[in-house]
Amino acid sequence: MSRSLIAIRHMDADQIRGLVDMAARLKDDVLHDRKISSGRRRTIGLLFFEDSTRTRVSFEQACNYLDYRIVNFGGSGSSMNKGESLKDTILTLKHERLEAVVMRHRSSGSAQLGQGYFDGPLVNAGDGQHEHPTQALGDALTVLERKGRLDGLKIAIVGDVMHSRVARSNAWLFSKLGSEVRFVGPRTLMPSSMGMLPGEVHYDLRTGISGADIVMCLRLQKERMTDGRLSSIGEFRRLYQVNRATLKWAKEDAIVMHPGPINRGVELDDLTADGPKSVISEQVTNGVFVRTAVLKWIFDEEGSN
Amino acid sequence: MRTVFKNGRILDPSQELDVIGSVIVEDGQVVDLGEDVEIGEFDEIYDCEGLWIAPGLVDLHAHLREPGGESRETIKSGTQAAAAGGFTTICCMPNTNPPLDTPSLVDFILDKASSPEAGGIFVQPIGALTKGQLGKELGDLAALKMAGVAAVSDEGSPVQDASVMMRAMEFCLQLDLPIMVHCEDTNLSEGGCMNDGPTSAMLGLPGIPRSAEEIMIMRNGVLALNTGCRVHFMRLSTWGGVEMVRQFKYLGAPVTCEVCPPYLTLTDEHVGEFDPMFKTTPPLRTEVDIDILMQGLADGTIDAIASDHSPYAPFEVEVPFEDAPMGMSTLESALGVILTHVTAKNILSPLETIRRMSTAPAEILGLDAGSLIPGKTPMAQLVLIDPHLEWVFDATRTFSQGKNSPYHGWSFVGKPVLTFCGSEVYRDAMFSEERYELAME
Repeated sequence: MSRSLIAIRHMDADQIRGLVDMAARLKDDVLHDRKISSGRRRTIGLLFFEDSTRTRVSFEQACNYLDYRIVNFGGSGSSMNKGESLKDTILTLKHERLEAVVMRHRSSGSAQLGQGYFDGPLVNAGDGQHEHPTQALGDALTVLERKGRLDGLKIAIVGDVMHSRVARSNAWLFSKLGSEVRFVGPRTLMPSSMGMLPGEVHYDLRTGISGADIVMCLRLQKERMTDGRLSSIGEFRRLYQVNRATLKWAKEDAIVMHPGPINRGVELDDLTADGPKSVISEQVTNGVFVRTAVLKWIFDEEGSN
Repeated sequence: MRTVFKNGRILDPSQELDVIGSVIVEDGQVVDLGEDVEIGEFDEIYDCEGLWIAPGLVDLHAHLREPGGESRETIKSGTQAAAAGGFTTICCMPNTNPPLDTPSLVDFILDKASSPEAGGIFVQPIGALTKGQLGKELGDLAALKMAGVAAVSDEGSPVQDASVMMRAMEFCLQLDLPIMVHCEDTNLSEGGCMNDGPTSAMLGLPGIPRSAEEIMIMRNGVLALNTGCRVHFMRLSTWGGVEMVRQFKYLGAPVTCEVCPPYLTLTDEHVGEFDPMFKTTPPLRTEVDIDILMQGLADGTIDAIASDHSPYAPFEVEVPFEDAPMGMSTLESALGVILTHVTAKNILSPLETIRRMSTAPAEILGLDAGSLIPGKTPMAQLVLIDPHLEWVFDATRTFSQGKNSPYHGWSFVGKPVLTFCGSEVYRDAMFSEERYELAME
């Protein structure tokens, strides 16, 4: 039995919690130099249609812990740049007998489409503006370590919600696990209607993060200035920057998260990004361990150490 | 050659006729019809008991893709699909490659459509409004009119510059040439791939706001009102659009409009998990829009139902949703959808259904179609419809090369079973052999 990880939206609370707990165990094993590889040297394809050093390296490191072999696919010179379709690229990997594919693509829904053609375990490493499930799982592990639980918390997701797969995956994850989600950002960067997306919308930073246990900032893309949704970085900073002054509105023991890469001085000021409330570096570390867990989980290996 | 269609329910909106009777066709032309016609001698006879006899359906809006898009559809496959859908006259849109902006391309399409291999129905080309459909300079519209186009349109690449559209309307008024408009402000819709709403938010897909459509309906309606040019609004999808067209008609603007089956039956929720079969332009909207579109049909604000047949090759659709083309292959499902979801729900009577799918579209563009009045059309165009036939639409088994249908697997009640355009051009497998008799010499 194998399975894919496409979207947190499709998962139930037990599955999510199971993966986070498994990641915590694996982290403990690695930090204590216990071997976590099952001994089977799987071959994993890393298929990055869109550049991402951070996520790719995180998956590579996860594969190192598991003693998996990696086939890298993407970037210039590959057949993707010669106009090969997603379908044909995935079919090629399938027939080259890769055992699983980790895929990043600029289009929402591409992970599910790719899974259909691969017909084996596929891990979504970010599909357009839809989901980034391993980012959310890593964030959950970080919150669990800091707060000791994943339910009953208030989490404020701040910034460009409209274009953020990180916002969507985290909103589903924390709401499914029983925490309260708030979306905070300007109207021009908020969907006109949230529909099923679980969370309360706030256009005001103060009410949005007031009483929050977790303040999660999203990366602001430069395109938001050129596509007319924001006049300037200064405007965003004035209204939505999480810094020493605005963070006072959140709970005393609130933690600050960011999926990276940070635009220092925009979403966060330096003092906050590097301060005691920031858990950004832990998010990076935990990202590796949830990806390790996911790469075992897809082969139904969670019990075997 | 004398052909008799015997004892069916004749539905002819052009003469407000809804009676049980027979239609007589001699040498390809309707010569008599009604309750008490003399059947007399005949060469062939169709027993139409329990069937509707209606003027062949007329489609204001189909894409035949030829020239340039033969992997999607050809004039041959498209006209065969139309015949199977009960259509005897269809208008083909000019967004071919090259666009239909010269008289020689009009000739090319008319030649292909009348070749013996084609579907045996009439194709009425619609010319490009601007050169190359680029929205900048007017095309040679007088030449296109003389070559036989019934209207002009820039279709899916609509003119954005209001001054270009105003000049176009002034010129088309002089030529007595209607302009068909797809209403979309492309600054507002840019990058969007589905209705801007809860589903697009959840899926992380860029949305197209309803304002993109309504602003252009407003602009084009104002220009039609002030110039007096005839303007036909294509594929309405929003409730606001229906209300605006209602107002423009009230103000006396020479405007007409159409709706297409998907906008009456599907919403943005059907996109589900990124299903590209439900991607079209304008995008599928909401239940509220469907309600008001249905009302618009019922009260006559919406003049016509068009197929918006937009076939694509399979490989074009097997891509991420954002990259998929916009449009659906609909000629062969259109009548089934309308009979099942509009007529059976008493939103339109059978006679009104035929009006919106035949007589009215023919009148909007002044086409020789949509009527059974003897001598009214140069060739008898009629369709036999079995209003009770239950069938399941199978998109893999269509005449159209485009298998991109949102209705695959849907059940319908009511189907065109025989299409006649001067002679029989389509007979459904479910049309009983016992209904047809050929006189022996």
